[in-house]
Amino acid sequence: MSFATKSPWIIHYAATSCNGCDIEVLACLTPLYDVERFGIINSGNPKHADIFLVTGSVNEQNLPVIRQIYDQMLEPKVVVAIGICATSGGVFRECYNTYGGVDSAIPVDVYVPGCAARPQAIIDGVVTALGVLDAKSAAFAQSKKEAS
Amino acid sequence: MGTLSFLILFPLIVAGVLLVVRNDRARGVIVTVSAVAIAAGSIALAVQYLTGSAVHFEFESEAVSLAALGIDLLISLFIIFVGLKHKQYLAVALAAIQAAIVVWFDLGPAHAIVVENNLYVDTLSVIMALIIGIIGSGICVYAIGYMRDFAQHHADVPDRRPMFFAVMFLFLSAMFGVVFSNNLSWLFTAWEVTTVCSFLLIGYTRTPEATNNAFLQIVMNLAGGLGFAIAIAWIGTQFGTLELSGLISLGLSGAATVVPVLLLAFAAMTKAAQMPFHTWLLGAMVAPTPTSALLHSSTMVKAGVFLLLKLSPVLGLSLAGHWNVAGITVQLVGGVTFLMCSLAAITQSNAKRVLAYSTIANLGLITACAGIGTSEAVWAAIFLIIFHAAAKSLLFLCVGTAEHHIGSRDIEDMDGLFTSMPSLARFMVIGIAGMFIAPFGMLVSKWAALGAFVDSGNIILVFLLVFGSAATFFFWAKWLAKVTAIAGPASDLEASIRTEEWASIALMALLTVLAAVAFPLISSAVVVPYLGEIFPAVSLAISQGNLMIMAAMAALLAIILGSTLGRARASKRDLPVYMGGVGISEGVTAFSGSLGDATPASTRNWYLESYLGEGRLSRIGTVVSVVLLICGLAAALIFGSVM
Amino acid sequence: MASVIGFLGFVIFAPVAGALLAGIDRRITARMQGRVGPPILQPYYDVRKLIEKDDRSVNAVQGVYVAMYLMFAIIAGAIFFSGGNFLLCIFVLTLSSLFFIIAGYSTRSPYAEAGAAREMLQVMAYEPMVLLVAIGFYLASGSFDVSAIATTGSPMIFSLPLVFLGFVYVLTIKLRKSPFDLSTSHHAHQELVKGITTEMSGRTLAMVEVTHWYENIFFLGWVALFFVTGSGASIALAIVVAAVIYFLEILIDNNFARVKWSAMFESAWLVALVLGFVNLIVFYI
Repeated sequence: MSFATKSPWIIHYAATSCNGCDIEVLACLTPLYDVERFGIINSGNPKHADIFLVTGSVNEQNLPVIRQIYDQMLEPKVVVAIGICATSGGVFRECYNTYGGVDSAIPVDVYVPGCAARPQAIIDGVVTALGVLDAKSAAFAQSKKEAS
Repeated sequence: MGTLSFLILFPLIVAGVLLVVRNDRARGVIVTVSAVAIAAGSIALAVQYLTGSAVHFEFESEAVSLAALGIDLLISLFIIFVGLKHKQYLAVALAAIQAAIVVWFDLGPAHAIVVENNLYVDTLSVIMALIIGIIGSGICVYAIGYMRDFAQHHADVPDRRPMFFAVMFLFLSAMFGVVFSNNLSWLFTAWEVTTVCSFLLIGYTRTPEATNNAFLQIVMNLAGGLGFAIAIAWIGTQFGTLELSGLISLGLSGAATVVPVLLLAFAAMTKAAQMPFHTWLLGAMVAPTPTSALLHSSTMVKAGVFLLLKLSPVLGLSLAGHWNVAGITVQLVGGVTFLMCSLAAITQSNAKRVLAYSTIANLGLITACAGIGTSEAVWAAIFLIIFHAAAKSLLFLCVGTAEHHIGSRDIEDMDGLFTSMPSLARFMVIGIAGMFIAPFGMLVSKWAALGAFVDSGNIILVFLLVFGSAATFFFWAKWLAKVTAIAGPASDLEASIRTEEWASIALMALLTVLAAVAFPLISSAVVVPYLGEIFPAVSLAISQGNLMIMAAMAALLAIILGSTLGRARASKRDLPVYMGGVGISEGVTAFSGSLGDATPASTRNWYLESYLGEGRLSRIGTVVSVVLLICGLAAALIFGSVM
Repeated sequence: MASVIGFLGFVIFAPVAGALLAGIDRRITARMQGRVGPPILQPYYDVRKLIEKDDRSVNAVQGVYVAMYLMFAIIAGAIFFSGGNFLLCIFVLTLSSLFFIIAGYSTRSPYAEAGAAREMLQVMAYEPMVLLVAIGFYLASGSFDVSAIATTGSPMIFSLPLVFLGFVYVLTIKLRKSPFDLSTSHHAHQELVKGITTEMSGRTLAMVEVTHWYENIFFLGWVALFFVTGSGASIALAIVVAAVIYFLEILIDNNFARVKWSAMFESAWLVALVLGFVNLIVFYI
């Protein structure tokens, strides 16, 4: 187990979300769900974050924003798409102004469906993401070792 | 004695030669060679006298005394003439009164007084000579290149460089006169020459602003000079002596010297730009930068604090054993000046004004130390003078060069200097660091001053220092931060900086760092023995061990930063800064605005104007210091004979 | 000998104690908010993770500045715990803060710069009170040396009660606790993204965290110095008091909203002026 999984810091970005999923993401921080139990912190800063939570679908306006935030995160990093809009575009999928889910902008590691996604589902998605993060950390450490 | 005469006379001769030399190249050679000669002369003097005890020279010369009187009168006539021409009648009146007093005294009572030791050398005057000889002449060398650029940048200003350089060297000569004269009349003459030199340098461009500020300077310093003249007359008629050393030993033996000492201190405080006379030094900023550098670091204001330090045994409480109204006045004026000017510096974005306020504040600190007059206070004051001279001249020279290349002296425009003028920015960093942080000398000296203030029993002074030094941190740190910010791609604006400028800037930087590293040595080998001669027992606020720690840290910092910051180039692994996900990272910090347009992001430093309006601070400081001076003088006149 | 032990003890054990303290802080904070909170070792995990992250930053110098920030914080604390000069360690600590500020400014990021400017203001706000603490110790004990202050017969708190109060006030600024967490903040309280640390990542951010561990232990040492008289019992008492003060800071942190910079600046200077003057004038009468 790498330390990344013990201290996953999050950045949360609302793309075209209706804010339903966003409220649920924030609900995870409340005493009821208390994600800080797992060392999770909502950092709000790509330079600090390990996990990128995106809600809502991707359109022309937010495509570069999602890409830029993703690019500014340091390796190893994982992306979690929260809610049905983020996973596939949801009901907006066929809209003329919508590209689709988050994976139309950046690679997504974990999909959390739901409208809105429930806090339990979000926490479950993040914990699943930790597994991916662990694997990526190991691969990253390996590549660093080889490079040096 | 030979070296000493050389230092006073040689710059004088050079000044005369420079007045007639019109050729640029010839002037450059003469200035450089003479500057080196003066520096060498001051070092030779240091080798002879730096660590020995004070040497007084039984050098009697009626001719010199007559010449001094002649110069006094010439100066007065000159001021009266110029004053009438510009309708500055206050200056005329002051000059006329001063001339009357001088003539009356010199032709009357002075004849009966025998002055045995007209000249002297002690460690303090050698330290001053080193500052004048090395830093002062370094600035003259810098001025060669700077003034060539200045003439090109200011085509509207008549090119009067022969006069400019002549006055610079005359200034050096007068300063040597100030630090070596034991005869108060001679000292007074040299003193007045420095006043006139600054008048000429400040008014160099002859714009209405420059002329007004030059007159502001001369009126204030003539008022000080008037105090000086009265003090001389008082001392001569009351005590029958004209020797500075005689005055001090009289004061120590319990004679009622409070009034003349306070008058001399008053003259020194006008020269050292203490409140309420701080405005002349701010006004002096209109002059070309080498002038400012010279006035602030090695001449003029340093003459003021030098005299205060000379007087410190009779101002302070350590030797007389009781409080003395002159000392208290000087302490408090210095303390108030320190706090007010440190706060005022926060409100300024013009680099030269920040430097000016910082100079006045530091002079305030030195003044307060002189007013306390204990061995630890004087120790702090001497080191403040040394470090301030080196770091402040470095900063002025850097700002002057930056101004010619980025077209602004505003600190906000120095954003990006770290990449566009990398070497200059690093020199500037050394200067700023030298001014305010551990382990560099100014901070260590301030620490010693704090210790001395606490021991002096003057709690008001302690509070003035504590709050003032917090303000000092703020205004230096925000400047430093602007200079070190890495904004924009590397460009090179440095190619056109002249060699003379680089040489002097590098010299000042070297002196700043060297002085910090050699601090413990200077203290134990030079300053402590000197204090031992003046004070019965020398106690220091900072132990030698702590000085060593500081010096070691200074060396460590110089090595680490010198080796790592040199390679601060952009690399492929650099990330763009976070701009809410809409950044445009093409060179400058910018983001995509709501209409998709590139909007540059810019930030300004904090100036806290709502708290610290410059005008308000200046008014408070002026009122307080005027009240202090008037009360001090009144108390001295009323109780002077008993205290 | 004692000074060598103090020196090495601080350099080696302060980060351990500081990490535990940070973990306990987060745990207590969570409990105050009705949550379970992270494991006690969470700060340690965070730092280890940061070290594992990719090594990239916005420029080549920020890391150097932050390293200086850490180094001088350690030196300052080591001077203190080895019984050195108290003023010296204040000045070295100021130097350390200055490097932190420059590290923020060097990025030229608006968020980091705003945070750094606030950090600068914080230093100006607390500096007078901190210097007055040193002066108070000197007046009460006759020395600026920590070793001498810590071995005077009567504890400093008896002669410096108001200075102690003033110090506890500015301690909130130094510990970056709400209501004075203007430059950057811990946990979930965000300020202008992350304020001064916005552009710091990976190892650089890890160094910042470790510096905070050192600093916190160092500041609690200052609190303790008000109570230490040299005897073993007084040291035990001092540790208890330091723990209580830290708990108080956590309580304040959780009960106050962040104030405007002007409120912090004004109140800190006012506290220094009033409490400092009233307490210190006693020594001059």
